[in-house]
Formats: sequence, structure tokens, C-alpha cells
Amino acid sequence: MRSSKRALLSKTRFAAGMSPDVCKRLAALAEVADVPAGTHVIREGEPIAALGVVISGRIALRLNVPGVGQQTILTVDDGDVFGWSAVMPGSRSTSTGTALVPTQALLFDRDRLLAAMAEDCELASAVYQRMLKVVARRLAATRVQLLDLYHVDHAS
Amino acid sequence: MTLDSGRFLPRGELEHLFTALQADGRRVVGPTVVDGAVVYDELTSPAQLPVGWQADMAPGRYRLRSTGGERAFDYTIPLTSWKRFTHPSFVPLTRGRHDEGQVLVESVVTDAPRLAFVGVRACEVAALAIQTRAMRAGPLGDADHAARDDAALVVAVECATSTSTCFCTSMGTGPEVNGGVDIVLAELDDGFVVRSGTPAGARLIKGLGLRPAAAAETDRASKQVAAVREAIGDPVPAEGLPARLRAALDHPRWDQVAERCLACANCTLVCPTCFCTSVAVASDLDGIEGSTTRTWDSCFSLGFGRVAGDANFRPQVRDRYRQWLTHKFSTWWDQFGSTGCVGCGRCIAWCPVGIDVREELRAVAPADAPTGPIPWPRSPAAGRAPAPLETVLPATHAVATVRALAAETADTTTLRLACSDAAILAARPGQFVMVELPAFAVPPISISRMLPDGIELTIRAVGPATSAITSLQLGAEISLRGPMGRGWPVAEAYGRDVVIVAGGIGLAPIRPLIDMILKERPRFGAVRLYLGARTPQDRLYVHEMHALAGRADLQVSEIVDRAGPEWTGRVGVVTQLFDQATWNGGRVTAFMCGPERMMQATATTLGRLNVRPAATWLTLERNMACGVGTCGHCQLGPFFVCRDGPVFSLAALGDAFGREGL
Repeated sequence: MRSSKRALLSKTRFAAGMSPDVCKRLAALAEVADVPAGTHVIREGEPIAALGVVISGRIALRLNVPGVGQQTILTVDDGDVFGWSAVMPGSRSTSTGTALVPTQALLFDRDRLLAAMAEDCELASAVYQRMLKVVARRLAATRVQLLDLYHVDHAS
Repeated sequence: MTLDSGRFLPRGELEHLFTALQADGRRVVGPTVVDGAVVYDELTSPAQLPVGWQADMAPGRYRLRSTGGERAFDYTIPLTSWKRFTHPSFVPLTRGRHDEGQVLVESVVTDAPRLAFVGVRACEVAALAIQTRAMRAGPLGDADHAARDDAALVVAVECATSTSTCFCTSMGTGPEVNGGVDIVLAELDDGFVVRSGTPAGARLIKGLGLRPAAAAETDRASKQVAAVREAIGDPVPAEGLPARLRAALDHPRWDQVAERCLACANCTLVCPTCFCTSVAVASDLDGIEGSTTRTWDSCFSLGFGRVAGDANFRPQVRDRYRQWLTHKFSTWWDQFGSTGCVGCGRCIAWCPVGIDVREELRAVAPADAPTGPIPWPRSPAAGRAPAPLETVLPATHAVATVRALAAETADTTTLRLACSDAAILAARPGQFVMVELPAFAVPPISISRMLPDGIELTIRAVGPATSAITSLQLGAEISLRGPMGRGWPVAEAYGRDVVIVAGGIGLAPIRPLIDMILKERPRFGAVRLYLGARTPQDRLYVHEMHALAGRADLQVSEIVDRAGPEWTGRVGVVTQLFDQATWNGGRVTAFMCGPERMMQATATTLGRLNVRPAATWLTLERNMACGVGTCGHCQLGPFFVCRDGPVFSLAALGDAFGREGL
């Protein structure tokens, strides 16, 4: 039997520490999506339809590099999010998200989510705090990746 | 041995002492005037001593001044030190031949001359002892230094004068000579009070047939040296200095002194205790015959902290000045149990911009400065489990034969080497070997697998030596020295869960650890292996790791920094692999190897997961030219990475780990 949206959300790392009431209200906005491998869930440069939280599976976030092709710069696994730009009104996707394996995700329609957050400060606070954590973690990781450490690393 | 009560040598009979030393089969080395300066050189007669000369020394200044007197030892201190004779600037190490796959490497054995050092000052007596401790402190003694040290006879002369740069009084090294020498002279106007400190010295003095020194003569000698002590005063607040310097690693003065310092290395070259060296490689034109020579080097040189791939751990002058000063006055205590400075003041006079080390010490670590926090444990041994060192002789050049070659990535190759050397075969996970191919530099390479009949080395071709080694053909020979360093403390993880983190080629030193854990698998709890690489194509031992991932008793996670669309694994940084960790860090012993910055990030993440610093082990890379703690390159705070590591616990390293410029 399929788990409820609330049950799915509450088990994720994304919802860790979220009050049960907020979790319930946020879960009410979600749709469960089963994404076949190879499906694009977001596309670089296009408006974002939804914020996604991965329940299981893996999404590759890719940038197109002219002359090189699609380069994966990050993968998103269980409990992590994709399409975080959805919580910034008017923004577009900074990468293309492609399911690498069959993936289950909770999708939060951008317009519904933004409207709910405008009405519900507690919900907005919970979502923005978590978005900030996600972005900060990715920024820190990107900085380390930028250093290209393994290129000049330990010569054994 | 304490000094005897003293006899008197009339000035006119100094020649007899020279003759006695020569009759003992020794060449006499002592002070003499060359090009307007007193230096140490070989002497045949007392007439060559700097009779009637006194030196005025000040920051960036040295001038000889005639006194018109008859005294031979009034110059205070020569511009050069005894290091020239005990630790020469060029020492041949090996000769080798590499022809049609056959390799022969032989050590050059020092034939030390029997020398008599005449005119050794109290501070220099201390310097000789300090140097001896440093050269004999490692798992191995420096054979060249030991031979020269053992063959020398020391005739000290107590100071009757001082100059403005002297501070032996503060360092506890002078001006009195209280032992540690064969003979001590105290120069008076009409002759010398002579005392012996060893049986060899006593025999020589007895042969001179001298009368006992009169009480008035010994009294004059005592008052003379007491006056020198009074004149010098106590210019450096040495009490508690090591701790104050340890606590001052971020003092703004380091930047200020770096603005003046030219990093010319004069101070280290004239220092009687600085012992750092490099290995110079020479080759004939066709690259068949080669030799290595040990040369003086300096922690002030830009390349001193540089490692393969051009990473440099002390790129700025401030880093290098701080290294020198803190080593001399602080970490030397951790390493050798004494000060590294004897207060001779040569570095002050030789500094072309007149940096006065006493002034810098007073600015950085004044007497009332705090002594904490301590950035690392007081002793290198603290915070880590004792691990007995495998002792090998530096003269051991074991020949190994290439039995197999496997290309791991575009620039990395694994060599399977057959070798029958017992020490090599007894290597432990985490140890390394110095790999010598005549005519090429000698890189330290971690052992990537131990085999019953040899070892494997996984080598990234980043320079001429590693390129030559990875280009060897099957059946070719190579020379190995080792194993060296402290390996992974596998037993620390018995009964505990194990987390292993490897980044890039850092997997090579980790691989023998994995082998050993799998061999003794029941001794460990859950074993989790986290691997990072630059791209999928840069992963090492792909098939092996794939096989490990298929085991039920091992969890393998991997991630790459970037990838093309064909890669379906994880992309990101290694720490991302811990996002979903649910294990209990309190039960974990962690081992990691990779770029230092990666290990820093990993250590922080492991800390958040409650893995204790004392249970977090890592291996460091530094410039390792000798492998046994005598070349000085690989220092990190109080540690010699080659000798005290390369495997350390996070607790032992303290704040030394990842600190900029250390």
C-alpha cells in the first residue's frame, strides 16, 4: 500500500525538525510523482513548475557546455531537493534535472506553494529555512569542487 | 665528564698544543682572518690565529678592528660555524647505474677526516651537541654526521669578549664552557688556563707537561668570563618562550617582519644548528649513470615546502619566517628536547636588512604574552597510540623488479614489484618507500599493496621521476629504500565500526588498509568505504572497488566531482556521501587519505557525526626528501611528517592540521 504524502515527507531529511502541523500542511500541497529514468524534471533556463523532494532514486543536475555537452555537476538523492528556484518568484531553472534511475519524488506546484507561503508565515519560514540550508550546503560543496582538489592532489 | 682543575699553558707554547694535536693524527681547524673576517679554516700553526683582532657585530654589520694586543681569541665569534665540518654543504649520498633495465644503487660511505676543532666557543659547544641530537634523533642516525662527529676532537676557548649580537646567556649556552668538550682554554694575557673534559683531552694535556694553573690564574679566567656574562645581560625572555611562541602563530608581527625579510636564507646557512638539506640529482648525458648529493637547503627557500603537483605548503615569506623562528625557539623542544638556538648572533649580523631575532622574539612573544591556547599537543607522541617504527637503514637499497604494470587512469599506473628484501616485505599498511631510479629525483611513494613476494606502487606521473618510473618495462629493476613512516593503526579499530574515506590517488595508501581489514574481517564491526574522484575516468582500481561493492560485509559509496551524461553514480563532494549516514559515530574508527582540504571537510563532517578526533586517522603529504626526519622539509609544527607520520590522529595534529602556511 502506498504511503501517505505526509508519511513520505516526514521521513525525509528535508522535513527533519519540522513540526507535525507544518509537515501536514506542506504535505497537503504535494503530489507524488514516479519519474522514469531519463525523464527531465526541470530544464535549464526554463521556468520551474515545481519544487521537488526526492523520496527515492537519483536526479542528475546538469549544465550544457557548448562543445562538450551535458555535464553533471551534482546529483540529488533521497531527502534532497531539486528545483529550489521555485521558491523565488519569477526565477528560472539553473540546471537540467534528469532522473538517472526510476525516482519517486514529492512535487510542490510552484504557484500553490508560493500562495500558501504568502498566507502561512510558519510554513514559509520552515520552507525558506530549509531552502537556505540546501543552498548553503551546495554553495560550500561547489566551492570545494571549484578548487579541483584532485587535480593537484596527493602524489601518493 | 666534568672539567679538571686546570693547568697553565704559556702563550709561547701554544705551538705545542698544535703539535700534539697533529701528532694525534689530526688536522687542526681553527679561526683565522680571511678577506677581512674571522672564519674557520685549516691551520698549520698558531701564527695563523686572528691575533690582535676583535669583531664588532651588529644587525647587518660585521667589522674587524685591530686591538694591537697579543690575544688570539678576542674576536668573539667567527662569521662561519663548525657546521661546515660536521655537516658539510655537499655530501655525496649515492651512486647509481641504470642500464638496459638493470639498476645498481650504492651508498657513498663517508671517510671522515680526523679533525681537531680549536677555538670552539661555549655557544658552539652547545650547537655541536644540538646538531648531534638532531642528526641522531630519527629512527636512523645520519651516518655522515656520526662519522664526522666521532672523528672530531674539540678544543674550546671560553669567551673573554662579547659583541652586541651575543645572547648565549639567555639561551643557557654560555659564555662559560662547563663540559661536553675534550679540552677548554681560557685565554689570559700571558697564556691559557687549560682544562680537560675527556680522557682523550687529558692525555693530550698530560703530554704537554704543563704546571698546574695558579689560583690567581684560574680566578682571572673566571672573572673574565663572568664579565662577559655581565656585558651580554639577558636580552631574550627565554623562560616560557616555547609556549608563548606556540600561542602566537597568528601574530601580526609575522606580516611585518615578512615585509623586511628578503628570504635570502643567510640566517639559516650561518646558523650552527640549522640542519635542513635537499637532495641534488646529477646524471650523465645519456641518463645511464647518476648520483645523489645532499646539499644544504633552507626553510626560507620558496621550494622548501613544495610537493609534487606544485602545491606549496609555505608559499609566503611570513610562513617561512614563522617556520624558522618557531622551529628554533619552540618546536625544537618538542622534537629534540632543547632549544634550537644557542644565541651566537650570527643570523643577526648576516641579515642584509638587519633583522634582529631578539627584537622579533620580544615583539612576537614578550615575557607577559599568553602561553595558550596550545595549537597542538605538547609532544608529537601525545594523542596517538604508540606505534613501533620499522627500522631500516638508509643505506639499504633493495632492488625490485617490475612484474606487472596496470594503467589505472590516463596518468596513473600501478607497478607490481617483486622484491626479496625482508624489510620491504614486512611493510605495514600506510608506510611508504623512497623509489630511486638513477639519474632521477627520489620520490616517496606509498605502498598500495603488500604481496608475499613484493609490493605494489600506484604512481601518478607528475614529473620526470614519476614519469620515468611509470614508463618502466616488464622485467626492469628499480631501487627501493624503506619501508618508512608510521602506518595505519589497524588494531585501533578492532571491535569497532570502520569508516574509510579516500579521495583521488589517496586511495592508494588506503588500499593495503582495506586488504588488511578484509583479511581480519571478523575483528571489525560494520565497514564503510567512501570514495571520491575528480571524474569517473579518474577512479582507481575500478574493478576491485566494484567487486568490494558486491560484498555483503562491506558498504561502498562513491562520488565524483563532475561527470558526463553516461555516469549514473553520484556527483558532488565526498562529504555529500555522509548526508544519509545513520550510523553511530561513537563506535567508529575513521581512516582517510586525500587532498588536505578534502580531509578537512571530511573531518568536520565526521565530527558532526560524533566520530572522536582520537579515532580519526589521516595521512598527510609533505615534501619528504630523506624519509627519516633529518632533511627537515616535511615539518608540520612539531612533527616530521615522514618520521612521526605520515599517519596521524586528528587529536595529535590539533590545530596544526590545515593551518595556513604551517
